[in-house]
Amino acid sequence: MIPLQISPFQYVANGVVFSSIIVLAAIGLSLVYSIADFANFAHGDLMTVGAFSALFSVGFFRPMLGDAGVFGLPLWFFLALAFGMGAAAVISVVTNRVVYRPVKDSGSIGLLISSIGVALVYRALVFLSFGTEPERYGVPRQGPVPWVRETLGIAVTPRNLVVVALTVVLVTALHLTLTRTTLGRKMRATADNADLARVSGIRTSEVIFAMWLIGGALAAAGGVFLGLEELVRPRMGFDILLIVFAAVILGGIGSVYGAMLGGLVIGMVHELVPLFDQLGVPLVSTPYAEAVAFVIMVVILLVRPSGIAGDSG
Amino acid sequence: MLVMSPHDMGRRTLLKLSGLSLVGATAGCLEGEEETPTATTTEESGGGGGGDDGTTTTTEESGGDESSYTIGMVDSLTGSLAPYGERNTRGRELALAAINEVGIGSEGASLNISVEDDESTNQGGVNGAQVLVNQDGVPLLIGSVGSGVSIAIHDSVTRDAGVVQISQNSTSPELTTRPELLRMSPSGSAKGQALASLVNDDGHDTVAVTWINNDYGTGLSDVFAETFESEFDGTVAYNEPHDQGQSSYSGILTEMASTDASAWIFLTYANEYTVMVNEGFDQGYNTSVDYYGAESTVADSIIENTPEGSMDGMTGITESAPQDQENYQNFVAAFEENYDGTPTVWSAYAYDAVTVAAIAIEAADEFTGEALASVVRDVTRPEGEEVFNFEEAAAVLRDGGSPSDINYQGVSGPVDLDENGDPPGYYQIYSVEDHEYVFGDYITS
Amino acid sequence: MSAVTSWVRETLVRDATERRIFAALGLITVLLVVGVLTGVVGLRFLLFQIALVGMYALLSLGLNVQWGYAGLINFSVAAFWGIGAYCAALLTAPNSPLGLGLHPVFGFLAAIVVSAFVAVLIGIPTLRLREDYLAIASLGLAEVIRAIILNERQWTAGSSGISGIPNLMSWLPLTDSATTAAIVVFLIAVVYLFLRRVHRSPWGRVLRTIRSDENLAKALGKNTYRFKMQAFVLGSVIMAVAGAFYAHLNLYIDPSDLVPLTTFYIWIAVILGGTGSNRGAVVGAAVVIAIREGTRFLNDIGFIQTLGVDLAPLRLLFVGGLIILIMRFRQDGLLPPKDELIWPAARDGSGAGGASPSGAASDGGASSNGGDDR
Repeated sequence: MIPLQISPFQYVANGVVFSSIIVLAAIGLSLVYSIADFANFAHGDLMTVGAFSALFSVGFFRPMLGDAGVFGLPLWFFLALAFGMGAAAVISVVTNRVVYRPVKDSGSIGLLISSIGVALVYRALVFLSFGTEPERYGVPRQGPVPWVRETLGIAVTPRNLVVVALTVVLVTALHLTLTRTTLGRKMRATADNADLARVSGIRTSEVIFAMWLIGGALAAAGGVFLGLEELVRPRMGFDILLIVFAAVILGGIGSVYGAMLGGLVIGMVHELVPLFDQLGVPLVSTPYAEAVAFVIMVVILLVRPSGIAGDSG
Repeated sequence: MLVMSPHDMGRRTLLKLSGLSLVGATAGCLEGEEETPTATTTEESGGGGGGDDGTTTTTEESGGDESSYTIGMVDSLTGSLAPYGERNTRGRELALAAINEVGIGSEGASLNISVEDDESTNQGGVNGAQVLVNQDGVPLLIGSVGSGVSIAIHDSVTRDAGVVQISQNSTSPELTTRPELLRMSPSGSAKGQALASLVNDDGHDTVAVTWINNDYGTGLSDVFAETFESEFDGTVAYNEPHDQGQSSYSGILTEMASTDASAWIFLTYANEYTVMVNEGFDQGYNTSVDYYGAESTVADSIIENTPEGSMDGMTGITESAPQDQENYQNFVAAFEENYDGTPTVWSAYAYDAVTVAAIAIEAADEFTGEALASVVRDVTRPEGEEVFNFEEAAAVLRDGGSPSDINYQGVSGPVDLDENGDPPGYYQIYSVEDHEYVFGDYITS
Repeated sequence: MSAVTSWVRETLVRDATERRIFAALGLITVLLVVGVLTGVVGLRFLLFQIALVGMYALLSLGLNVQWGYAGLINFSVAAFWGIGAYCAALLTAPNSPLGLGLHPVFGFLAAIVVSAFVAVLIGIPTLRLREDYLAIASLGLAEVIRAIILNERQWTAGSSGISGIPNLMSWLPLTDSATTAAIVVFLIAVVYLFLRRVHRSPWGRVLRTIRSDENLAKALGKNTYRFKMQAFVLGSVIMAVAGAFYAHLNLYIDPSDLVPLTTFYIWIAVILGGTGSNRGAVVGAAVVIAIREGTRFLNDIGFIQTLGVDLAPLRLLFVGGLIILIMRFRQDGLLPPKDELIWPAARDGSGAGGASPSGAASDGGASSNGGDDR
């Protein structure tokens, strides 16, 4: 029997993959928080909706395209991903129009509570349409990529690589949108100071529309990647929601870049906990990986509520 | 005074609420007389056996003889144990068809089973049992699959209500300590010992065990670890539980991989095992260690959701049926006629649970928990004439026989319930070759 | 009986909407009684449901202290409920990891003490935060508590749960379900009256001020943090008592109910019932249970089965939709407090229905309730 060796870098690799998912979700959540000014508890379930929409579309993309693949993953998966992102973007915008806008004046607490209702509705619709059992996309699994195993001593699969690569692509695209386009500039202005933005002639309704669209699409991408890495379950989004909140708060509400950084840190910490456990760090053990993230979040709220990069609430 | 002072208001509220309590108390006294089992709307009656249409009978409560008998059943229709739920449903339907062809008692009353889903969780089971016992008033309950679920139902619902409980699929040794909790499936202690022996025979002296965090996992892993360490001088380098229903177990696998165990024992359910096999495959663990399992790591869903080669060479021990017994072969024939594919022993256990319940109802003086409890063991004990199905048992009983005059031989085995309510069991070694299950040698307990 | 009629008119049915609501409740009660008499509804089962409603009502009353009185968005309801339930279970169940088999009184006492202690621990970092941060932080810490209960199996039995919890007061010559239902009604009465007393006290007035305008309260020289902590602890203790009671009702406990969804159900009960209103909390709890258990009953009706629709998600959909609709159309809930808070004598003196401290208490709270300087 070949004795197994787990290199510490394995944990780092796991962390990068998990961080990708958190980063995508955190960006959307941070955007909503800064522009619409409330904590959207439905964001996790929006990820679920995106993941299941993608699953649904597999039903017609897969027979169409067969097994043709790229980068080790079948083509139909990428189309399903795009479908899921689109569906979630649309649902996100519609929800805003139907639920959040009419109660805008009840303040951030009223919106928060409404978002809980929305979360339950999303989840219920997923349960009703797809049942309670966990699902898989059906992307054929391959083992670890051999040359990575041999050179770096860590096990990463093609899907790990695709998840990380696509996240980088999406984040870069967002960055370019925010810095190079007019819309992006308007979004940044509104996030900074909504009243000033409105006064200087920026139509905030357009910005809000864009924000829900982008936030929904990114949440869906995070959901699909989570489903690809683990399972597509109706509770998947809500189970991860608090970790995403932790990332957003750590990074600082109102800053998209803070959300990225927060996502990276929280994701890493989550996956490094088993390593700390083995190194004998007290109080930290594998089942408490999420609890560690929450405690970090509470500490940040006490010590520096504006987070790493955010404005002062 | 038109307006009441606050003292009066406080007093009046208290009075009103005390009045409510008094009403509730009176209700409590009335409640004691509600012992007659209500034959209410049921979900299942004579199933789909032999082409007959399964009609749902809604009978009114009659004062004297019952035109139908309703018992309860808690089953895992959804959740991690859903594969068993499906097997049990089929066993139950076949048994009901056979029983209702004959009818219970001189009036030929039909047997109805009211089914509740436990969602493979303890709390779900308790909720379902509460509905069956408190709302439907059943005197006998068949339930459930998960050992923790059965124990929770027993300790929290059926024991104090005096309801007879027969578990159809629970195998944890922990049920043995509860003699009132009967079961058709054998205790897993023999299986745990046999598994330890198997692992040792394959040349492993250091193993890692992970088990599902409930009474089933605790019981079985305890037996395995004890046997492996004391009888075979082996080392259990890792022995930790994991929770049901998670979407990732990479943490557990990583920890197991950090030990020097050469064999990994998975005492867990199908969904959980599927995730572990997939994640193990992603990390390449399957090429480095041998996998072992028990009965719940045998399921079609596992094969369907894992890639080729991800668990080849995995070995384990599962319960099996008495292949050479005639009534089992009849059962197989009936099963294959009604459903696609061959039955597993789990359907046979469910079949026997329903049949034993029917025989007990036939043999008992009254349709109450107490009366049923006094006869249910006797009808399975080796004393008496061997009967192989409900029809034969009913014939003996109606001929003036008493419960100890019959010895029911079930389709799953002799079903001789001992003083702890456990039957003896048959086991079989299985392995995975070319991504298919292959069954081998038999073991008896 | 004119005193009773006027009490009913002044406390229970303030206006047309409330009259309709109570009429609906009355109708449902009548239907239930008929159901029991005709044998459609099992009496034991109904009493169990009543006890469950009572348990939820206690939880809602506890949350009402925190949210309705003090304006704290506390999402850790399930955790405190769980602490209470586990204290009771661990101390009284013979086969719990502690195996002590003590009398239930100790379970309740432990629930109160432990929950108060944990409430202080959680309150220290979170009560100074602004509302939405308090929400997220309290939810996070509740999850930490759940993780501890789930993972420290040697103390809590983890996901195996604790079964065989004894019934309460089984020496009474009543059936267990009737006794349990009576006990919870008694508990609700005690808590309800206590809270009403408390709310009309100067302490309650300060809390209301803090809720509507914390800066004003601070300007008036009040140590708002201390008041919020007291409200938080009081509410959490009530929730723990509800949890301990639940252990003796369900006779089984495991960590699966300590999830955020449970917290959200209580929130719905409080909001639906009417934030700040104790009557509303009880009514809201009844409605939530009606939804939860009623959908289970629908399962038994033949034609719904043929629709092939799974009812648990339908329940979720209904509850979610309800939240959205309430926030949109009737934020005050079914039975907003209005002048529940004013001593009747004062109300008579100051003329028609005072100010209405509903959902987002608009008045400063300190001025218009003239009569409660007792």
